[in-house]
Amino acid sequence: MKFTALIPCLLLLCAPLHAGAGTGDDMTKLKKLGAEVEKDAKFPPVVSYTMKNGLRLLILEKKFVPTVSFTMIFRVGNVDGLPGKTGLAHLFEHMAFKGTKTINSAGFSKEKVLLEKVETAAKAMIAEESKASPEPAKLEELRKALAGAEKAADALIVKDEYWKIYNELGEHGMNAMTSTDYTGYIVSLPSNRLEAWMIIESDRFKNAVLREFYRERSVVMEERRMGESDPNRLMWETLFINAFAAHPYHNPTIGWMDDLKRLTRTDADQFFKTFYAPNNATLAVVGDIKPEEVIKLAEKYFASWKKRPLPERNYTKEQPQKSEKRINVFFKAKPSLRMGFHNTGWGNPDIYGLLMLSEILSNGKTSRFYKNLVEGKQLALYANSGPSTPGDRYPSLFVILAAPKAPHTVEEVEDAILEEIDKLKKEPPTPWEMEKVINNYEASLVRQLESNSGLGMSLASNQQILGDWKFDWKVTDELRKLKPEDVSRVAGRYFTRDNKTIVFLREPDATQAAPPAAPAKGGVK
Amino acid sequence: MKNIILKTAVLGAIMTLSISSSWAVPPSLPKIGGIDFKPPKGSRYTLENGMVVYLLKDNTLPVTHMTAIIKTGKIYDPKEKIGLGELTAGLLKDGGTLKYKSDEIDKTLEFLGASVESSIANEEARVDMFALKKDLDKVLDIYASVLMEPAFEDDKTALKKAEALEIIRRRNDNPNREAQREALRYFYGADHPYGWRPEISTVEPLTKKDLKAYHGNYYRPNNIIIAAAGDFGSESAFLAKLKEKFGGWTGGEVRFPEIPPVKINETRRVYFIEKDISQTFIVMLQKGVKRHDPVEFPLYVTNEMLGGGLSSRLAAEIRSRKGLAYSVYSYFAKRPDYGFINASCGTKPETYSQALSELLRQFELIKTETAPDAEVKRAKDSIINSFVFRFPTPFDLISERALYEHYAYPADYLDTYVDNMARVDPKAVLETSQKLFKPESSFVFVIGNTKKFDKPLSEFGPVTEVKED
Repeated sequence: MKFTALIPCLLLLCAPLHAGAGTGDDMTKLKKLGAEVEKDAKFPPVVSYTMKNGLRLLILEKKFVPTVSFTMIFRVGNVDGLPGKTGLAHLFEHMAFKGTKTINSAGFSKEKVLLEKVETAAKAMIAEESKASPEPAKLEELRKALAGAEKAADALIVKDEYWKIYNELGEHGMNAMTSTDYTGYIVSLPSNRLEAWMIIESDRFKNAVLREFYRERSVVMEERRMGESDPNRLMWETLFINAFAAHPYHNPTIGWMDDLKRLTRTDADQFFKTFYAPNNATLAVVGDIKPEEVIKLAEKYFASWKKRPLPERNYTKEQPQKSEKRINVFFKAKPSLRMGFHNTGWGNPDIYGLLMLSEILSNGKTSRFYKNLVEGKQLALYANSGPSTPGDRYPSLFVILAAPKAPHTVEEVEDAILEEIDKLKKEPPTPWEMEKVINNYEASLVRQLESNSGLGMSLASNQQILGDWKFDWKVTDELRKLKPEDVSRVAGRYFTRDNKTIVFLREPDATQAAPPAAPAKGGVK
Repeated sequence: MKNIILKTAVLGAIMTLSISSSWAVPPSLPKIGGIDFKPPKGSRYTLENGMVVYLLKDNTLPVTHMTAIIKTGKIYDPKEKIGLGELTAGLLKDGGTLKYKSDEIDKTLEFLGASVESSIANEEARVDMFALKKDLDKVLDIYASVLMEPAFEDDKTALKKAEALEIIRRRNDNPNREAQREALRYFYGADHPYGWRPEISTVEPLTKKDLKAYHGNYYRPNNIIIAAAGDFGSESAFLAKLKEKFGGWTGGEVRFPEIPPVKINETRRVYFIEKDISQTFIVMLQKGVKRHDPVEFPLYVTNEMLGGGLSSRLAAEIRSRKGLAYSVYSYFAKRPDYGFINASCGTKPETYSQALSELLRQFELIKTETAPDAEVKRAKDSIINSFVFRFPTPFDLISERALYEHYAYPADYLDTYVDNMARVDPKAVLETSQKLFKPESSFVFVIGNTKKFDKPLSEFGPVTEVKED
């Protein structure tokens, strides 16, 4: 799960790095294939190509070591789950590592029958579990029946074959991630494995078989418990469920435990059929490869992946918040706070003012939070911020995270944070501060170019979520357009009391000593 | 799916990879060739004052990266001043220098989008630099001053110390991290440098005098290796710049304290911390290996099979087949004296005994039954074929070279690495497991809500409750 993209992954042009566009000969070949080569020197020479089924490829040839990074991003995240099925996008992501009709299977036609028996047994068990008062003996019997059906199906599973293939290929960083907005699959390989990747992954997204579903569901429940044991995750979850009343950003990406208990393989199959379509995906391929070869192989292996109509995705819009929300979470950890103010999303140019504001507040030791909260008043251990969390597809939150330094309290830190924002409302930032932010942004764009996998992630997610792989480069222009007064204006517009949700983490002991309403002394021992 | 933690504390190495890999499953995949990569050598120089410099020119981007590896580390702190090395490292830049005030450094670097950052680990301290080409001279001058002549300004020192104390107060906020740290602490003994942690009582008394003395002892040119890669102009011109910056810095003898020998009580002990949390964190520790012991090669392969990834035995059984954990893994860490072998997992309290029993069983199994050829081969392929990812950029490559020298590996270590891995066979895996794994006498550390445990901890051995502090 991705929580804080304090600055999204950023890139900047530097021509000598890319062998990309190559010779005139290469250019001609690419054109003939129908690919578009970026020629504007402001951007790297990414080769874009859209297949007939809608799968979009973004390819950049980059040399040093003979490796290549693949990033496949689907525009489907937790927001796209149906009511009562939170966590399905993430659970499906886990299931995408369980093989296909030919991978992980010792014979799918027979296995299929056994998998249906597992599903029937599981549904019976879930039905009993979901009753107001399940009958213990019956439940035990149904659990045993499920375990028996799973054991029978095991006989036709080639265990973990998908992983084993990649281990042998020499994978690096094979992983996947689900956010509110998207699901991504990443792996890096030695570059002479290009065709192997095409074969395996085209099979994976065309023919995924969701075997061992109920065991993996238990794994995800453990993942949830791990998060429940971590005060940071707990605070984020609490912030989002309170700040969003109507929009699905309300729901935790990992899912509610109660929903997880009722998710079935049938749900996941349906989800797969609905959203895992080529016209809902972008593939970035970055590394020591030839773009025309990537295109040819993609056509060879992915062309038979059928385009499908995607559902309308007009979710309940979050209504303007009309009240300040203050929440206390009790957990055995030292106090800290998370704050969220609703923004109006990346479709509104105000977001760039908020991005600038965030950087002025919290980027580095010369930032206002550090200078005044950490250093000047010495109230905080840290104070940080970001313009758009938990997502970018819909209006989201400007978030602030901070922790007091004993003996100071979360209330003191909150006051000091608001004081810094108030100063900016009244007096615009200095030109030096704004120039610093832009310089840092540009330097971080250069640094992003160093990593194949980081660059691939940026290209694919910007294309798929924000509609343009060049997005990060264009942000620089937007930042340059801002005037100091714009920053004050957005501070005034968004940082209002009734647009604010604040979550305090408090130690249980402290809450008993002082009721939540009263200013607590905040965890001093 | 978040990455499971894969730590192998084995240092990177560089060599030509040309091991061929025959293809097993599935047959529809094309034949996979070997990986032929001859990484650039880079250059190694020694300045007159003993400072070693590795350089690799790389003008693909208009940037320069540099790192200095200083031979010191948290294990060398004086016992009554644990945290001294960390506080010193943290203040090299943040406390200003004789030439530059701290605020001036921050303003200059942050305006340029450059960085100079320092850190310390168990056996190394680092000072890293990043600069755009146009700013290299300016940033390099700050960098050199930070490394050679930190001022430890009073107000910044007080601030950093207060921060260190607050971090100590918050050290148990995350029970997973707490479990890992405390397990090692009780395994080696709280007084041993391999296990200790800074305390309020060891950080509070630290003074500027301590920091200066620490810096004076360890931060000397003959105790430092520098590695740089990037678009820094010609190599000779950049070397001349480094000589100009560091040449006047005089070397001298570095005094290292004697580290007491590691003594591990190899009988089963179960330690636990009572905590009402959703998940129970289990850490199992066994005596590991000393750095440079050639057993690391079969151990590396063995660990890959046992707990190195999602198809490893631990993940397959505890995670994928039984659904008991999200995070389950094993790794080993080398030390000058005995390192450790760690196997960890997180599971709900109601299934902790199942998960722990399976952890123990898998260590037992691998030392009693010879592993199938195919499994050993796959683990080797995984290590050998992904080797190239240890140096994805020129800077990664050259700093790996420097690190390799820092940890005093034999000169041919790199050239023989792949061959050494390739030589590991099922017999070596079995012998290594039999030699090193003693699950029956392993140390077990648990944090969780014992009231919900499915079995009493005493079923796993003599139990000691420790209080969180």
